[in-house]
Amino acid sequence: MQAFERELLTLLPRLRRFARALARDGADADDLVQAALERALKARDQWAPGTRLDAWMMRIVRNCWIDEMRSRARRARTFVPEEEGEMVGSEAHHEVEIRAEMHAVDKAMNSLSPDQREVIALVLVEGLAYREAADLLDIPIGTLTSRLTRGRQALAQMLEAA
Amino acid sequence: MIDDDLLMAYADGELDELARARVERAIGEDDSLRARLEQQQRLRATLAAHYGPTAEEEVPERLRSMLETNIVHFPPPRPRPRPIWQGVAALAASLVLGLALGRTLLAPAGGPVAIEHGTMVAQGPLADALDLQLASAQPAGAPVRIGISFAASDGRLCRTFDSAALSGLACRGEAGWQVMMTAAGAGGPRGDYRQAGSGSPLVAQAAQELMAGEALDADGERRARDAGWRRR
Repeated sequence: MQAFERELLTLLPRLRRFARALARDGADADDLVQAALERALKARDQWAPGTRLDAWMMRIVRNCWIDEMRSRARRARTFVPEEEGEMVGSEAHHEVEIRAEMHAVDKAMNSLSPDQREVIALVLVEGLAYREAADLLDIPIGTLTSRLTRGRQALAQMLEAA
Repeated sequence: MIDDDLLMAYADGELDELARARVERAIGEDDSLRARLEQQQRLRATLAAHYGPTAEEEVPERLRSMLETNIVHFPPPRPRPRPIWQGVAALAASLVLGLALGRTLLAPAGGPVAIEHGTMVAQGPLADALDLQLASAQPAGAPVRIGISFAASDGRLCRTFDSAALSGLACRGEAGWQVMMTAAGAGGPRGDYRQAGSGSPLVAQAAQELMAGEALDADGERRARDAGWRRR
């Protein structure tokens, strides 16, 4: 058996949790993990053995999530002006249904900006140190801490008001 | 003055001892600071309660199988369970093999393997097949079928093979193909080669243990052969 796949298998529970904190529900989260695994298996040559596979993999999950959100935004933009009839209605209705069924925590996380949500997921859910999270996102540590502070204040307010 | 960034860094265990002591002193003197800290601790607990169970769940099959099937570079195992008599037949075949090997030791001229300087090496048609035959272009009815070819972690190139009596794994060394392990052949008197390369699960397992990286594809196999199976 190959070390790469074996190690990925042991990472799966954590990757699912990380994806769960980014995505809006469990089904989206597992789709996200699946997309990330596909990408990782194709790009396995880019992983340098001896470096941390978990950080490499979390970065891929995060990039897949960003890509998915962008394409969703694109879809929404192309639908709205052109086909204002039923399509928008049913899409919007679907969105409302999803939101109504969402757990308060998911709802609160979803209302954060993506920048804030990803730092919350890395530090508060996954327990990464500030340095690790900043390296993973390629941002200065000051940027990380300010996003983290604003994100968690917003979350705390929403959840305690609910 | 304790700002929110500092208080959060305290909650996250990111402060050194000195800064920690300063924050703790301030919390002791300021109730609103304490309340903000407690709010953050509640938030952390809420997130852990909500997302934590995901990591405890069983990972869905569709995700696991992406990695598990990727590990296996061999055709999947036979779908139907083996009738017990086949197991017995395989056992009998390996006993016969043991006898055959015993004879080879005494009369090295005949069998597919010989003992040279204390190592087991391929000879005759088996050695020829290992040298020349490509898995991607096996002659119909060839007595030896090649399974996969791959580089071992010590850099040697290795190949799995299968024949009527004997299947196994050989690696190319200075003195020819060293036979690393053998198992009963899949063919037997029925000569059934429909599942070319499927070989014995024991051989497949040994190959995976030895393999560094992935098995060679058809192109890589051809290049390795043309280069005389030189160590990488």
